[in-house]
Amino acid sequence: MENQYIGEHLAFGKAGQLLIILTFICSLLGAVSYFLAVRNNDLTWKRIARSAFVIHALAIFSVFGLLFYLIFNHYFEYYYVWHHSSTALPIKYILACFWEGQEGSFLLWMFWHAILSIIVIARGKEWEAPVMSVVLVVQAFLASMLLGVYIFNYRIGSDPFILLRNDPEMSNLPFIRMPDYLSKLKDGRGLNPLLQNYWMVIHPPTLFLGFASTLFPFAYAIAGLWTKRITAWIKPSLPWAFFGVMILGTGILMGGAWAYESLSFGGFWAWDPVENASLVPWLILVAAAHLMLVFKASKRSLFSCFLFTMLSFLLILYSTFLTRSGILGNTSVHAFTDLGMSGQLLLYMLFFVVLAILLLFKNRRNISLSKDEDELFSREFWMFIGTLVLLISAVQITFTTSIPVINKLFHVNLAPPVNPKDHYNKWQLPIAVILALLIGVTQFFNYKQTEPKKFIRKIAFCTFFALVFSGVGIWWLELYQFHYALLFTAGVFAVIANLDYLLWIVKGRIRFGGASIAHGGFGLILLGALISMGKSQIISHNNTNIDLGKDVPNAENILLTKGDTLTMGEYAVTYRSRHKEGVNIFYEIEYFKRDSSGNLKKQFSLKPVIQTNPRMGNVAEPDTKHFADKDVYTHITYADLSFMEQKDSDYTEPVTKTLKIGDTITTSNSLLIVEALDKKPIVKNISLEPGDLAVGVNLKLIDINKKEYHTEPVFIIHDNSIMPLETQVEDLGLRLAFANLHPETGKIDLVLAERKNNAKEFIVLKAIIFPYINFLWSGAVLMILGTIIAIRRRLVT
Amino acid sequence: MKKTYILALVLVAIAIAAIFSTVSDSGTYADFTIASSHPAEEYHVVGKLNRKKELTYDPHKDANLFSFYLIDNQGNECQVNYTGTKPQDFEKSEQIVVVGKMKGQMFHASSILMKCPSKYNNSQELKEIKTS
Repeated sequence: MENQYIGEHLAFGKAGQLLIILTFICSLLGAVSYFLAVRNNDLTWKRIARSAFVIHALAIFSVFGLLFYLIFNHYFEYYYVWHHSSTALPIKYILACFWEGQEGSFLLWMFWHAILSIIVIARGKEWEAPVMSVVLVVQAFLASMLLGVYIFNYRIGSDPFILLRNDPEMSNLPFIRMPDYLSKLKDGRGLNPLLQNYWMVIHPPTLFLGFASTLFPFAYAIAGLWTKRITAWIKPSLPWAFFGVMILGTGILMGGAWAYESLSFGGFWAWDPVENASLVPWLILVAAAHLMLVFKASKRSLFSCFLFTMLSFLLILYSTFLTRSGILGNTSVHAFTDLGMSGQLLLYMLFFVVLAILLLFKNRRNISLSKDEDELFSREFWMFIGTLVLLISAVQITFTTSIPVINKLFHVNLAPPVNPKDHYNKWQLPIAVILALLIGVTQFFNYKQTEPKKFIRKIAFCTFFALVFSGVGIWWLELYQFHYALLFTAGVFAVIANLDYLLWIVKGRIRFGGASIAHGGFGLILLGALISMGKSQIISHNNTNIDLGKDVPNAENILLTKGDTLTMGEYAVTYRSRHKEGVNIFYEIEYFKRDSSGNLKKQFSLKPVIQTNPRMGNVAEPDTKHFADKDVYTHITYADLSFMEQKDSDYTEPVTKTLKIGDTITTSNSLLIVEALDKKPIVKNISLEPGDLAVGVNLKLIDINKKEYHTEPVFIIHDNSIMPLETQVEDLGLRLAFANLHPETGKIDLVLAERKNNAKEFIVLKAIIFPYINFLWSGAVLMILGTIIAIRRRLVT
Repeated sequence: MKKTYILALVLVAIAIAAIFSTVSDSGTYADFTIASSHPAEEYHVVGKLNRKKELTYDPHKDANLFSFYLIDNQGNECQVNYTGTKPQDFEKSEQIVVVGKMKGQMFHASSILMKCPSKYNNSQELKEIKTS
């Protein structure tokens, strides 16, 4: 007999499943109709295709809305809702729950594709049919990831609307078979504490918009090959390519900012495989966008245009495969977990790889390489070199990131590099030097041909200026290592050369200066990254400890006892206090500096947090003080959380002291003063009857920092029995009870228990100074703004 | 010769160099026996925490020394000294990868990678702790 369950809202899930099937079918129908519209040049098919698209898009929006509604209303009978959210979660993180899971992020991806498609339909004209045909095939693949239907025991996709009681892991639990299981299911599993962060709300949508925007240049390239408009596709796809560069770049930088601000990476870039997976397509997309410019100006590099444009989208698919198939398993901190869809992901990727190769091969005669000699003194030549450098960068990162894939393919057992940062920097730093130089130099060349003398005259000024400036900078920042000095000089050159170009050649007309602004911004990013990372200074060095020898010089953590002050770099640092707010424990760390007379003066205080989460483990979140010229980063790497568990055994045996008003005694960490008796104390939880007696005693406690605490334990005689009401001073680890009153002497009995580890509460922390990291952020803003300006100009002309 | 061909050659050469460098920089998975016979080399050792033996982390003595016993996949046990703080939920870890080298009878780890089973989910969540 089928069980009857109480309190479920099944209609939403049924509707959701139907809508997913509808998006899938309509995307297929739309793709085929657009295909026929191209083949037969037929308006009827186009009209059908458009209707299919409209239904497809509306269905996506509805699924999006439905899932959001379910999470918002905490309908925990749905596995996705239960798995990713909880009632305790603030409303601002509802969206974060939405895309924490794979299903939600696929939906987000499809959502952006649908939105961007509207632009193609509205403005694409003759490109609409072929481009949308490609887009809808991609949508069909993505929709299939959400189907959750079984075909011959193989599950296609993962349905976000599956019920908790139907989930294979949960259905075995006995309580789930009870009709009223929902009333027993108090709360959801909740969002991973690491992801409870405003970055989690804005970073994924930006990144997925970036992913989505790489599809359109790809679709235009395929459409160009398919409809034999071998060169015409470049013009309409150019703004798309730069839009992708801008948005995907923003998304990647946001990820870096997130890692820096609130994850404990100790920096903004860690060469984590998941970070690399979105960086590589961006590098290739940047190259593709520049190649399109080269083609527009000089009719060269057509083949490379195709290759890079297609590669950028295919690499998005590859990175999706890497991060979602579970293959990164042992090498990445934050890859998605495997949902058993790696086969589907692989098929998805191979389909488009084969399609791209086939179409290129079919058109090989039309895309001939140019026969005449390249002009050395031309802008397109150096832009082309730049794209090759980007390619090398991408190949190197991809290869190392793909070590787990190589292991699978060739049955070897390579481990990732022991020191990944050094490995990547060894390659990427020289590449960055070349890129920075190219960014500075290339704009001073004209397309086709440049008079060498003119070029040298134009560039001499900023070269001289850059050399002087970087010389001073290297001395000032003490960047004496050769490779640092080299990158610094190249970065300074890139910034100055672009400024020079903007001021003298573009003559400050901002709307023509998009490229210079973006390139200068990139130079600043390199400089910021170099200085903040290369000259970062760990100030929490533990000098007092036993030296472990040269092999382990990384004594980066320091123990700080509550109230103690230690010297760290130019600061004196104190762990002042801790307080608990909900699940968060805030630690107040004060930073002092010595003034001229040798007195400590407080500069600022930081509040790093430990978020307690018994289910998924506690998470420590750093706090950073931002100055114009540096950041001071403070992170708790270990904290004694035993105070969280209130056990009697954690306290000393209670001691009874007989005291009179005005007496002062000492506890292990404070002075206790008996101030006065209170004849009319406020008594909570107990209703006093006539004849009952309640007397309170006002106690004042002063800790070593002269901070005062007040508390009032109460002595009650209720129904002829004595009932002392205990009070607690959490910060001092004290429990106090007013146990007896001696009316003849006016003395009182006070029972005192102290937390055993009261004397030695401590934290272990890591503090790092990142100098001039603001170069990086301002560079990022400039790069994004510059790209927007450049896109606007492309769209206007 | 055309510049394009020269460029293509240079490109291929660099790509090959990149691949070689990845292979030569890549670490090696090993067990404690191999690691102790090559004390100069750094290895990735995969194993499980010996829960019967004590985990030592006394920040009062040294905030940067955490030590525990790891049983590698061959069943050999070795004491591991890690330069850093004790990672959150270390006791709950199911599988541990330590990166470092042997020094005498002890393995000195510069980084630890652990896999924790989450209570309500078969999927595994990774945590990485690094000092570099």
